[in-house]
This record gives sequence, structure tokens and C-alpha cells, in this order.
Amino acid sequence: MNRDAVMLWSAVALYGLGLALTVPSTWRRRPTLTRGTLGALAAGLTLHFGFLVSRAAEIHRLPITDVRSALSSFTFLATLAFFLVYLRYRIGALGLFMLPLVFLLTLLSALRAGKTFESPAFRSGWLVVHIGSILIGYVGFFLTFVAALMYLIRSSELKSKNLGAFYFRLPPLDACDQLYYRSLILGLPFLSLGIIMGFVYASRTWTGPWELDPKILASMVTWLIYLVLFATRLGGTWGGRRSAAMAIFGFAAVLATFLGISLWSGLHGYFPKLGGSP
Amino acid sequence: MNMNLLLVGINHRTAPVEVRERMNIQESRLAAAVSDLAHREGILEGMIMSTCNRVELVTNAREDAEATPIVRTFLAEYHHCELAAFEPHFYWLRQRDAVRHLFRVASSLDSMILGEPQVLGQVKEAYATARKVGALNGVLGEIVSHSLAVARRVRRETAIGSSAVSVSYAAVELAKKIFGSLRGKTILVIGAGKMSELAAKHLLASGASAIFVSNRTYERAQELARAFHGTAVRFDELFGAISRADVVISSTGAPHFVIAKDLAQKLLAARRNRPILLVDIAVPRDIEPAVNELDNAFVYDIDDLEAVVEANRRERQREAAQAEKIIEEELVRLERRLSTRELAPTIVAIEEHLNRIRESEFERFSGRLSSLTPDQRQAVEALARGIQNKILRGPLLELKGGADRPEHGNIVRLMRRIFGVGE
Repeated sequence: MNRDAVMLWSAVALYGLGLALTVPSTWRRRPTLTRGTLGALAAGLTLHFGFLVSRAAEIHRLPITDVRSALSSFTFLATLAFFLVYLRYRIGALGLFMLPLVFLLTLLSALRAGKTFESPAFRSGWLVVHIGSILIGYVGFFLTFVAALMYLIRSSELKSKNLGAFYFRLPPLDACDQLYYRSLILGLPFLSLGIIMGFVYASRTWTGPWELDPKILASMVTWLIYLVLFATRLGGTWGGRRSAAMAIFGFAAVLATFLGISLWSGLHGYFPKLGGSP
Repeated sequence: MNMNLLLVGINHRTAPVEVRERMNIQESRLAAAVSDLAHREGILEGMIMSTCNRVELVTNAREDAEATPIVRTFLAEYHHCELAAFEPHFYWLRQRDAVRHLFRVASSLDSMILGEPQVLGQVKEAYATARKVGALNGVLGEIVSHSLAVARRVRRETAIGSSAVSVSYAAVELAKKIFGSLRGKTILVIGAGKMSELAAKHLLASGASAIFVSNRTYERAQELARAFHGTAVRFDELFGAISRADVVISSTGAPHFVIAKDLAQKLLAARRNRPILLVDIAVPRDIEPAVNELDNAFVYDIDDLEAVVEANRRERQREAAQAEKIIEEELVRLERRLSTRELAPTIVAIEEHLNRIRESEFERFSGRLSSLTPDQRQAVEALARGIQNKILRGPLLELKGGADRPEHGNIVRLMRRIFGVGE
């Protein structure tokens, strides 16, 4: 194993350890996470950062232009976001809700290690901004998703009066709502910027009916979902449960766009043979 | 350092209220009583805690004294009674068990309502009183002060005291599960009643402000508004008031629903779907149960509040198990601290003691040793010192090496006794 692989796999292991450690502390109803948990995650985050820097040095640009690197960058940003949100809100349960996906996707990015494919197109600054801001938007929506999930559980527990496992562990409804809204207004501008950048880049370099690329269509659907969420939230027209359910659906769309469609999208496939256009 | 602890007590579990009140020591006479107890022959330190649920006497007696008869006499004299009649209600605990009991009492694990916070204040008071009369200036003082720290740690690391175990607090707790902080939130109290006033009082103490509405007379609402620094609203302006409120407490005697589903629907739209907690403590109920089906409306009636309290009680039981673990940890920690502090002076005392024996023996034999040459004399002295050191080696190793073991304090004390070095 070379140095990069060691760093990445250590990061995966440390994320896994951090995840494993959140379980007992949440189970024992500690309102905050233990130092061990945070330490493991911080160490994992540092190694992950080291890995990304090393990759960037190797390919001379941000490591986001192939599926594996994009995934890796996304989970790095998500863990970073976890820390920021945790420090701000001190929600111990956040670990339980965020870390499983972070761990799985980092693992996936490590497993899919392979040769990166090179294309002169990736040297374009437009593309880096395009992918970069979409990734930040996705991290925002990941938080929206987690907040919505916690909101739904909290709300249904309060409604059913069945004070079960989560009654003592989840943040107040208002805190979930606040996190939901703030992450939404973080994610939406970045996604919008990313999509616009993509359009600009595509219209300048691609020929043919690129608007019909599955990934572009899926992105538009995702973007619309979040636009609707934002509008209804501003107007106060939707109740909390409805918005939360929609946010969960929205994140499913994000995952489908981000991961699923990459597998068969022509122009966005990140795979050399399928990329028909220049 | 001297540690010969005895704790004598009765509490709500071992004694009925008639016995507890008979054994109670009035607050105004407490200082004199502690002073009396602690200054009896053989007793070095003492503390008395006397509340409606318990009477506890703790003493630290001289190593060679037996505290049981002294405390027995003290109690009999103080209460002017034959103690034998009350004997089965008392528990007598020594050393480690006494310390553990102190820790458990301060941490509210021994309370009637598990985790209730008042008992910590009562221990603090007993501690302060005993200190004031000079009855707690040794190990016992340190132990009691450690028990306060243990209690704080239990509060910090377990949720034993964080959930509501009364119906009126349950309303506050629910409000916090929804709003987080109540600062800046508005409470609307519809109708009057002991329970709704109590709930309002708790909510206001958490930083909310209040509006009062009465379905009977406006004057009654004004009266309440004055008492709780709130505002009063006429019953026909109810809707406007509700749409401003984040928490509604309703306890009118009205025979029909005050808040029906269609009204609540309008209300939520006017609030732009911000959440609202509706607490219904009226029988017959004031709020249509179907309101709970609306998004962002949370309706709790009196039975629901009781269920919350019940769930919290079970929760406290679970947290108590965690607290017991903390107490065992702290017991070990305290013992280790006390014994390591005793260690150095003990070693010095044993060494000095043996040096004295050696020197006095030389003194005794000085006449018969005078014929020796300086060389020979030195050899004899080295021989004596060598024997002393070899004998001491095992015991000193044992003393220094065992500081991590919980029984180390006993070993230190045992060594002192074996070598005959006192305090």
C-alpha cells in the first residue's frame, strides 16, 4: 500500500471507530459526545485531509473530477460540517444520524480505488467550480436531510405520546427546524451556482442535445425540490412534517443524482469510454 | 490520619413518619447538637443531617475509641428516650459503607423521589453547620465535601435529575422538547386552577411571558395577570391571543371544546405553521383531541402528562444504575487519595521508630561495646542497620506498591499498628 492508501484507509477506520463510539454514548443518553468519539473523528478528518491534499498535488487540481475523488471530497466536507454543527448545537444524536452515511461513502470511495481517468476538460476552472459548488450544496442538503429526519422522529414521538428511545436523546423540535432551514439556505445557492456553471460550461464546449443528459435532468429535478422547500418554508405554507418528508425525498434525489446516474450518464459518467463529447 | 467512621441513621424507608419526627433534630438546635456530639470523649468529628425524610449522624472517632455507645448515649440523652424502642429503624454503617451512604444521599439516590435536587442543599447545610462549630476539620470534613463533588458529577454525567416527575413540570419539559429555550415564548393560560397556575409559574420561571384569559370574568384574568406579571385578555379576544401564544394551558370549566379543530386550523395558518403546544388540564376537556392530528400542533391532556411523568420515573431508575457506578468509582478514588497522603508520613514514622530502637539499644550496650576498635564498632553498627533495612524492605515495598489497590488504606493503617507508630 502506498502512503495515500494508508491515509485513506486509516481515515475510514477512524470514522468507523467514531461511529461505533457514538452508539454507546447515545445509548447511555449522554447529551454530548465523548472526547474519544470526537478525537477519533478529528484524527480521521485530518488523515482524510492529508489524503486529499496529496491527491491534489498529484493531479494538480482539486480532487473532485472523478467519482471516487468527488465522493471522498464530499465525505470530507460532510465530516467537517458535522464538526461545525456539533460545536454550534451540541447535538449528540447528530453522530448517529450523520456518521453511518459518511462512513459508508468514504468506504465506497476507498474501495473504488482505481486509475483516475484524465481528460483535458478537467483542467477547466469552470468545471472545478461547477463540481465544487455542487458538492458543497450536497453537504448542505445532507444536513437538511439529517435535520428533517430528527424532526420527523421527534415530532411523531411527541404526537403519538409514545415516549420511546429518542425522547431523551434528540434535540428540541425548534433546533431541528433551525438546522433544517440554515442548511437549506446554505445548500440552495451553491447548488444553483453549480448548475449555472455547468450550463455555461456545457453551452460553450458541448455540442448536441446535452440538455437531455440524465444527470442534468436529475439535477434539475433535485434543484426544483429544494426550490419548492425553500419557497414553502419562507411562506410558512407547509407544516413541519410535510417539509421534513419532502427534504428526505430531496436527499434521496441527491444521492440518485450524485451516485446512481453517474453510472449510466453519458456526459457525466466520469468514465472515459462513455464521454462522447470533447 | 485517623479514620474510624460510623454513620447512624433512619430514613423514609426504614422508619414511619412518627419515628422520624420523634428522632428529628430541629434546625434551630442543630448547631448545638453537632457541637455536643463532636466534643464527646473519643469523638473527633461529627455531622448531623435532619430533614423530614431522614436523620443521619456521622462521626469520626479516635482510632482506639468505639463510637457506637457514644452515639447511642447522645441520641438517648438528646431525645430523652430509651433508644431500644426505635432500634429496628436505625441502620449502623461503618467506614466504606458509611462513605458510600453519604455519597448516595448527596447524589439523591437514597431519596424518596429519585434524583430530586433538594437533598444536595440539605447536605450542604449540614456540612456548613458542622464546620461552623468546628466539628468537621479532618478526614470526615474532606469526605463530606467530596460527597458534594460526587453529587455534582452524578448530575452532570447522568440524566437522573433532568426529567420531570410532576405533572406541572411535565408541561415545561414538553415545551422544552419543542422550543428548546422558553425565553421569548408566550404562554396563554385559559381559565384558572391550581394546576394551570403551577404550570404557568414553572414556565414563566424558564423565561416565558404570559397572557391570561378567563372564561368567566375579566377581573379574574386581571388578578392572575397581576400575580404573574402578565397581561389579561377578554374572552372574546381569545383567538388573537392564541395566535400569539406558543404554549396554551387550558383549564376552563366549559362543557364544550374551547379550541375545536377548525379553530386550531385557522390558528396554525395564522402562525404560519410554527409549532404550538396545547396543554389541556380540564375535565371535561377544552381542546378537541383531533387537533393533535394537525401538523405542528401538539395536544396533551391530563392523562398524557401522567404518562410522561411515568416514563420519566422509569428513566430515572435507569439513570440511577449509572450513578451507582460513578459512586463506586469515586469511593475508590477517595480512598486512594487518602491513603497516598498517609503513605509518606507512615514510612517516615516507621523508619524513625526503628532508628530510635537501634540507637537506644546501642546506648544500652555502650558499656560493653567500649572495648571495640573504631573499625569493629563501625562493623557492628553496619550490621544493626543492615538487619533493620532487611526487615523493613518487605513492608515498605508493600506500602509503596499497593497505592492503586482499594484496600491500601487498610494496609497503611495495619502497618502503623504492627510497628506501633501512632498518629
